[in-house]
Amino acid sequence: VSAVVEITGVGLLTPLGDGREQVASALCAGQSALVPSLEAGGTGLAAIVDFEASKYANVRGLRLYNRTTRLAICAAKLALTDAMVDPTSVAPEELGLLMASTYGHLDVLLDYDRSLVESGLLRTNAALMPLAIPSAPGAMVALAFGAKAFSMTLCDSTSSSLDAIGLGARWVLEGRARACLVVAAFSASPELVRVVDRAGALAAKGDVRPFDRRASGAGLGEGAAAFVLERADHASKRGAASRGRVHGYGAAFAGKQTESKAALERACAGALRAADVSAERISLVSAGASGVPALDRAEAEALASVLGADASRVPTIAVKGALGETFDAAGAIQSVVALSSLQERRAPPIARLDEPEVPRLRYLKEEAVVDRGLALVTSIAADGTSTALVLSHGDDR
Amino acid sequence: MTRRVVVTGCGVVTPAGSDLVTFWSTIMRGQCRIEPLRQFSFRDFDSLVGGEVVLPPEDELGADGYRARCLALTLAATRRAVEHAALPGGVAFRERTGAVIGTTLGEERQVGDLSDRFRAEGDGAIDAGFFSRSDNHRLSSEVAKRHGFGGPVVVGAGACSSGNAAIAIAYDVIRMGAADCMIAGAADTLVRSIYCGFFRMGALSKSVCRPYDKNRDGVSFGEGAGALVLEDYDAAVRRGARIHAEIAGFGVSNDAHHITAPDPTGNGFTRAIRQALATTGTPLEAVDYVSAHGTGTVYSDLCESRALHAVFGDRARSIPMSSIKSMMGHTNGAASAIEAVACVLALEHQAVPPTANLVEQDPECAIDCVPNEGRRAKVKTCLSLSAGFGGFNACLVVRGVA
Repeated sequence: VSAVVEITGVGLLTPLGDGREQVASALCAGQSALVPSLEAGGTGLAAIVDFEASKYANVRGLRLYNRTTRLAICAAKLALTDAMVDPTSVAPEELGLLMASTYGHLDVLLDYDRSLVESGLLRTNAALMPLAIPSAPGAMVALAFGAKAFSMTLCDSTSSSLDAIGLGARWVLEGRARACLVVAAFSASPELVRVVDRAGALAAKGDVRPFDRRASGAGLGEGAAAFVLERADHASKRGAASRGRVHGYGAAFAGKQTESKAALERACAGALRAADVSAERISLVSAGASGVPALDRAEAEALASVLGADASRVPTIAVKGALGETFDAAGAIQSVVALSSLQERRAPPIARLDEPEVPRLRYLKEEAVVDRGLALVTSIAADGTSTALVLSHGDDR
Repeated sequence: MTRRVVVTGCGVVTPAGSDLVTFWSTIMRGQCRIEPLRQFSFRDFDSLVGGEVVLPPEDELGADGYRARCLALTLAATRRAVEHAALPGGVAFRERTGAVIGTTLGEERQVGDLSDRFRAEGDGAIDAGFFSRSDNHRLSSEVAKRHGFGGPVVVGAGACSSGNAAIAIAYDVIRMGAADCMIAGAADTLVRSIYCGFFRMGALSKSVCRPYDKNRDGVSFGEGAGALVLEDYDAAVRRGARIHAEIAGFGVSNDAHHITAPDPTGNGFTRAIRQALATTGTPLEAVDYVSAHGTGTVYSDLCESRALHAVFGDRARSIPMSSIKSMMGHTNGAASAIEAVACVLALEHQAVPPTANLVEQDPECAIDCVPNEGRRAKVKTCLSLSAGFGGFNACLVVRGVA
């Protein structure tokens, strides 16, 4: 059995559209969804306007779920449809679910807790309690699509979705599921926007500039992405098309911010080692840079070190300039854009990048042609976690 | 090459004790530590009971001095496990070491506190540190910071299977070669929302929980944390570590049946148990002890018994299987991590802990639940079961190492 895992389905919901091609075209055209928002205290917010979950999925009780769960269910439905996975092609006992969600339950928890204190035990909607725990959004996705192999949630903030893809690939290879649905979702509830803003990490007026010398902070976004992962022989047996391939995953941790560069270097080295390739094979980097200067600097320096002599050749993109920081969904969205870029051989520019702080990388300031090869997707989080994923493109349609 | 994963250290902070000796002697005697709750009250209840942890002062505060209780419990248990394993301090070793922490509720108390302050102070209640304090990922990243780890750092939420899930993920990280050593554990605290939720579901015991008893009436809650140091066998041997047990492997499944209720047929649980036994090459007759989920609710205990009978047949009546939740309360995600430590201790002491508070066993739960007092037993292989809200089941096989 090859250690490479097939991606047979992709689902994507972002403020710039709900399909890979649509989002890729918008990004390549230089569109940004980040706009100053009164709701976000004047900082940037990239929200999905007029989101109607019922357009995407017909799931019982959908309207009762919170926005993160609805986004997750809709992205999952898009991915399952894309993969042509249903109970006749993959038995429920063979379908697993890994969810990336650190904050997806918080708005329900706040509502539930507030109601308990203000209205009392007997006047509080008891049905909210099981939805107010971190694993709830994932459990609801698993329930909606009957995933019976496993249902697990990873709460690793910006690393969650890359961790979930890495673990999903592992569990598929081990035969714990024939197909693994990896779902990542983040929505910016008003409470969460206020809390993140108070932490001082957001740029004023949506002026988000990943990798730029004038970067002053991130902007919040919302979105969801989902993948169906399968072993190559299983995918081939049921005639599923390949939308891409997972080759390797790596993760590392830095206890101090000054060690973040070294941690991301170790994560990238681990992903390349797992993929059994050298950095020369990388033809695109989809970076997690969000406009937070210290983290972007560490990421750029680590990438320059990992790519070595190829740093000036390999196009580097950073979608958070256009889509905002989507935390749990971020790595998955970066991965979808990387797959689209390899597939279509064109990659989008980095929004509002004028003057890179670390000049050694080939940052895209406008749409550019990309060689088919491998993509390196990276994430570096404020708490010290670094993750990396090596992907390749899928079959031509 | 397939790597073997062994346990070289354990740590617990539980209502039954916060060192391995006290913990083991308390549960072996069947002493129930579910008592009137001191930490908080709630106006809708005349009284609440629960299993509370008494932390020594040095473990009380989180890394930033803030009283984030879930983090404090996590750091206390992981510190004990790291000390028990006598991990080396070299940079090379620590860079190849990571942490996976599981939780059901995480820092929910932070959110409760914020909710209270919102009402009193409005938006001004939010301080700059709230976002990071309430972020559950901190449960593992602070462990890594505290001990200088540089490997993978993950937080897993699988409801009340979180502990076993964390151990399973850490086991896989070592097996795939991404680290040589991982701290795996889980922690949860007592929070008002879970008492209220279980009360409304009719699943909160009016006295103390009595798993498998004919008159059981629901769950009692507890708080705590459990942690294990897992290492690649060869690496552990090379550094001369004392090996306490082997994590032979795990099985997982999901009921996908109902948001709170388990599948009444026990099918989901059955699949997880069978996967755990099959993937570890463990024959049915090799299982010497089952650390049961045993929450004390009518429904859950019955489903679990059905699953065990479906897997083991008549042998389910004679394998010792107990629920130590009867002594500490259900510590949610932490439970299976603490129970994994109990399995390691069962292997070391060649004895099995009891199910406490048992008066009259439910004939529909026809198992040997080791009533009220621990007993000596030949233990080479343990099976540890967990099930959670949403239907996620995770089972672990823990073996002795010759």
